[in-house]
Amino acid sequence: MFYGYLLIGLLLAVIWLRWSAKQNTREAFREIFSSEIWWSSSAKADYAIFFINKLTFFFLAPLLLTQLAAATWLFTFLHESIGYRTIIGESWPDISIIALFTLCYFLLDDFARFYVHKLLHEVPFLWAFHKVHHSARTMTPMTVFRTHPVEGLVFAMRSVIVQASVMAIFIFFFGGRVDLYTVLGVGVFTFVFNMMGSNLRHSHIGLRYWGWLESILISPAQHQIHHSVEPKHFDKNYGVILAIWDRMGKSLVKSSKHERIEFGLSKKVLKGEQNIIFIYLSPFREVAMIARECIQYFKSVFKS
Amino acid sequence: MKLNLLVSSMAIAAAMNVNAAQNYADFPVTVKAYEGDAKHSVSYGGQAARQVLHTSLKTLSGQGNGQENAELKAKMLAYFEGKAEGRAILSPVSKGGFVVAENNVDVLSKEKNLAGKTYKGAVTGWPGGMTGPEVLGFMIDKASSANKGFDPLTGYDYQQLISKFIMGAVFYNQAVDNYLDEKLDADTKPNGQAYKPGKPYTGKEHVWDEAFGYFGGPANTLNLSAEDVYNIAKQKEDALVLADFNKDGKASLYNEMTYAHAYYAAGFDKGGKTTYLHNIVQAFVDGRLLLTEAKGVNLTDAQRTELKGYAATIADNWQMVIAEAVFKYAGSTYKDLQKLNKLIETNGDIAADFRAYAKHWGELKGFALALQTGNENLGETAVKLNRLIGFSPVLLGNTQVIGVDSKGNYIQASSADMKQYMLHMLKVQQLMVDQFGVKARNKDVLADMGDLAGKLSSGGYVEND
Repeated sequence: MFYGYLLIGLLLAVIWLRWSAKQNTREAFREIFSSEIWWSSSAKADYAIFFINKLTFFFLAPLLLTQLAAATWLFTFLHESIGYRTIIGESWPDISIIALFTLCYFLLDDFARFYVHKLLHEVPFLWAFHKVHHSARTMTPMTVFRTHPVEGLVFAMRSVIVQASVMAIFIFFFGGRVDLYTVLGVGVFTFVFNMMGSNLRHSHIGLRYWGWLESILISPAQHQIHHSVEPKHFDKNYGVILAIWDRMGKSLVKSSKHERIEFGLSKKVLKGEQNIIFIYLSPFREVAMIARECIQYFKSVFKS
Repeated sequence: MKLNLLVSSMAIAAAMNVNAAQNYADFPVTVKAYEGDAKHSVSYGGQAARQVLHTSLKTLSGQGNGQENAELKAKMLAYFEGKAEGRAILSPVSKGGFVVAENNVDVLSKEKNLAGKTYKGAVTGWPGGMTGPEVLGFMIDKASSANKGFDPLTGYDYQQLISKFIMGAVFYNQAVDNYLDEKLDADTKPNGQAYKPGKPYTGKEHVWDEAFGYFGGPANTLNLSAEDVYNIAKQKEDALVLADFNKDGKASLYNEMTYAHAYYAAGFDKGGKTTYLHNIVQAFVDGRLLLTEAKGVNLTDAQRTELKGYAATIADNWQMVIAEAVFKYAGSTYKDLQKLNKLIETNGDIAADFRAYAKHWGELKGFALALQTGNENLGETAVKLNRLIGFSPVLLGNTQVIGVDSKGNYIQASSADMKQYMLHMLKVQQLMVDQFGVKARNKDVLADMGDLAGKLSSGGYVEND
């Protein structure tokens, strides 16, 4: 299905370039598949990270807590805490329970993604690892996989907590009728998100939505702003699908016409910044420095 | 052309025969200097007799009318501890087109009983601190005066309790804690001698056969699917042809019927997640082939080690079958409690659901007791299991049996309520998962969670935002 969504992304990109930049199809394809983007040192690092992470998580995944084990624990905890289990909504039609579950899961998952993302930017030792993702100078749909494994563990934990909570609570109260409304094997909201060009978030195609829609949903252009080297764009647009969380947290920035965005951590390009060993190891060095600073700080506090 | 067709058909038939799996029958006589006229050495008539003593006793357990009934009790005891000739097989009997060959226990084996082969240790999961035979004698006494085996004052379904406990305390215990355990040692029932003078089977061959007989699978199990074996126990009309491998038009209760544990193994396996039935029967067949190849001489150390390996496979898979049954009936009991709690809240009629609750609880308790009669001391797991289930189902007034007085009357006391008791059932299921790793998981309280988890799982650990 990933390829299907990529094709949708391609189609949207062509339509967008024809409409906004008045390009013909040939020019649009040339821009979309520019070797300066797809074969840049940053893109090459993306590809290497993708394969290294695949291998790492092949060994790591079986060791991680599964959402089913966590949900089982939480279900038992609810049973013990509440003392009994009464199924509610037995007279409700199935569709209402499925719709409620699908909506709650979507909202909780999207909020958790927003909030963890915010923490990744605002907590120094987490930022050290999330920087790997932001160090991309060029972006392709493969950049979505440009993630440090430590950050991957954070994402895994986030998923387990969200999925286990929502499953355990819903099944505890609503029983076996709980289900996820899916389209082509994924949740309906994820499907819509993918159809709206989610794969263009990590690309140079600045697909924008109408202003009113960008207050509700994060467009690819808004996510590209999140990757901008401009200080005014730092710590903005954390959201994944919904823009409402950023609106509430006052971190929402809408896209603007003809805005050319440069991607990366800063304007200055450092030598060796796309070196794969540097990408994997530098976060640990940074965390060590942060830890040292913390120790120094606490020492000074206790001395005074 | 016709000749070609005939030759081809014969070749295919021959090939099919070669590919057929080994039946647990017709292994040759290997006893040295045997002078009798037996053509094969397989013999487990005593175990088949005990299988039908069990099924018949189960039938009798449900025949009480709620009044003291000395006649019924005597009849039940005749099947449990008696050895008299002439006991009719009350179950299985011919049903529709599924005709069974025998109708008298003696035809299978004479002078057999269940009491003499019942687990002699203390049964800590049952009130009164009794041994296995004492527990069954006690239950038989109570069942004879209960109404169709059911006592509404305690929630006991004696038909289920007696049946499932016998499956453990006689069949499972005898097989895994006796025949497949100490009787495989070198100095017991050696393979270099006939089991008894004049018998066509060696000591070890017969020991192995007896264990197979207690498992209860048809001799041709390896040529059948789990569903076929299950349907034979249910005596479905079209299952006769599957059972009847000697083609005499009848199912022999000796080796063409499914009993007890084989029925449960088949029941779990037909769900497609497990292969207990075939694992067990294959190990029995492999062990028997090893004994045949030993050609009537004592086993070498290597052969004994290999044989014990097959015995371990059988014991492990058998224990899993019982653990799966505990899991299943804990789930059924949970769902019954859920229904009962709802009915109580809405002042509904609970009679039928309370009866179902008692039945499922009886199966749960019987299998939980059975699980503790194997060759392995379950230690803390048994303590937890007995504590979670208690001595009886939790009753409507939130009471449970806590003991038996000197006159054999039950003593009841306040307990967890029926809502909290649901949690106990959930924990029993979790205990079976944690301690035994059950896989079939019928009536899983958390089954819906597993299905849902499959839909939510993305596995995208490294997809960034």
